[in-house]
Amino acid sequence: MSVLSLHNISHAYFGRTVLDRVTLDVREGEIVALVGPSGCGKSTLIHIAARLIEAQRGRVASAYARHGMIFQEPRLMPWATAEDNIAYPLRLAGLGRHQRRARARHAADVVSLDRSDLGKYPVELSGGMRQRTAIARALVVEPDFVFFDEPFTALDVALKRQMQDLVIAAARQARFAGLFVTHDLAEAVRVSDRILVIDERVRGIAGERFIALPAGARDDAAVFATVQAYLKEDPLFAHIYDRDERLAS
Amino acid sequence: MTRFLLDRVGRLGRFLWSGWVGVAGLALFAAIWQQGHEAYGDFILPSPLTTLQATAELLRADETWRLAQATSARAIQGFLLTAVLGAVLGIAVGYSAAAMRLARPLLTIVMGVPPIAWIVLAMIWFGSSAGTVLTTTVVAAFPLVFANVAEAVAMRDRALEDMAKAFGAGPFQRLRTIVIRHVTGQYFPALAVALGSTFKVAVMAELLANIDGIGVALAMSRSNLDVAQSIAWVVIIVAVIFVVEYGVVQPVRAELERWREAARPWGVRR
Repeated sequence: MSVLSLHNISHAYFGRTVLDRVTLDVREGEIVALVGPSGCGKSTLIHIAARLIEAQRGRVASAYARHGMIFQEPRLMPWATAEDNIAYPLRLAGLGRHQRRARARHAADVVSLDRSDLGKYPVELSGGMRQRTAIARALVVEPDFVFFDEPFTALDVALKRQMQDLVIAAARQARFAGLFVTHDLAEAVRVSDRILVIDERVRGIAGERFIALPAGARDDAAVFATVQAYLKEDPLFAHIYDRDERLAS
Repeated sequence: MTRFLLDRVGRLGRFLWSGWVGVAGLALFAAIWQQGHEAYGDFILPSPLTTLQATAELLRADETWRLAQATSARAIQGFLLTAVLGAVLGIAVGYSAAAMRLARPLLTIVMGVPPIAWIVLAMIWFGSSAGTVLTTTVVAAFPLVFANVAEAVAMRDRALEDMAKAFGAGPFQRLRTIVIRHVTGQYFPALAVALGSTFKVAVMAELLANIDGIGVALAMSRSNLDVAQSIAWVVIIVAVIFVVEYGVVQPVRAELERWREAARPWGVRR
């Protein structure tokens, strides 16, 4: 059963068509990665899916009950403490103070954010802790669907790994489905069940690959071998590292 | 709870301690003043001590307190009206790019007209009444508050708003939880400036329109050529502004801007 389906989505910016009749389905408990070079429209697609922008044509249907979203930047409110930032979606939902506090603390534990850091403001936190806070904010609503908009692009390699592990563990435990935008193929292979390649020339999805590795067997060597095989042998991935900013702009 | 109280007490302590610098500045000012007094004599510029005595004498009279209260009441009325109007209209206009563009030239016109001209107009419309003072104070202070709020709303953080939207916040919830908090950063500094100008303009309007208050008292001491008393009245006005600003405006601002305090690295000299 699909929890999110986009049907014939088309979108254009100032007359330039970015997406043309894109159709995609995300099944229950499945993490789908969208990969492609920058400017290919994958960000636009996830924003349409998360209903942040209205598609010019097409239909978005969702069957999930609650969703969360993680952005490239943490996007924390600078005037609120880490705890209040995590609890923000609950505040929007109208939950009481005590319940908010309890659930925010639980979410902070899940992303291993220290209790003593919860009273701090975002400026006092390191980059990694800020992103942990943002992840906790997405998980606090106990979502059954999570949108990931290039969440770890700005982080350094070690931190990125930690965050990926965190997401993998959380997804396994909470069984949420997700849409994961990234331009890092290794990241897509590590965290997702299925990869969709977005290509500017077809203005949409050029093709898809199911990741053959079982979720428990994705160590570094296996991930590296899969990425190499995709890049060398699979024509679908021939253009994903093309980065022509002139075309992209 | 104790931590909450300790935080506030600490802030008050730091503020009081920083008062020493203010005292040093005042002492320097008094020294220059004394020099002027010695150069020009008692009639042109009475000494700081004489002025202080005149102030103390004024403070002993009940009449002074009545006048100060009358003027403050009018000025604070104008200030509150400015604060409310500036915030509400500023937010409304800031949301619309077209309204912003329309408002800019209007603001230029309103700010370009000198307050004294507004006083004359207000006197024609309202006569020598509280309405004159209220009108001129609002007209003098409103554009600043309004422009700051509208600009802050127009410059709001869209990324944060998108975040709120992604978590299901409607337009009103976004306004309440994101935009208003963002705007307060510009709102309170503008209010602090507006507060000073409402008092100044209120006194000016009272003086020119002959409305009972500090303005009239100032005019009387001028016609009596009592320079010490004139300056004493000025001292009283400044003291009233000081009390309102540091008693009301700054504490509220500090409460809302605690996170900025946290952003300050340790060991930075205040």
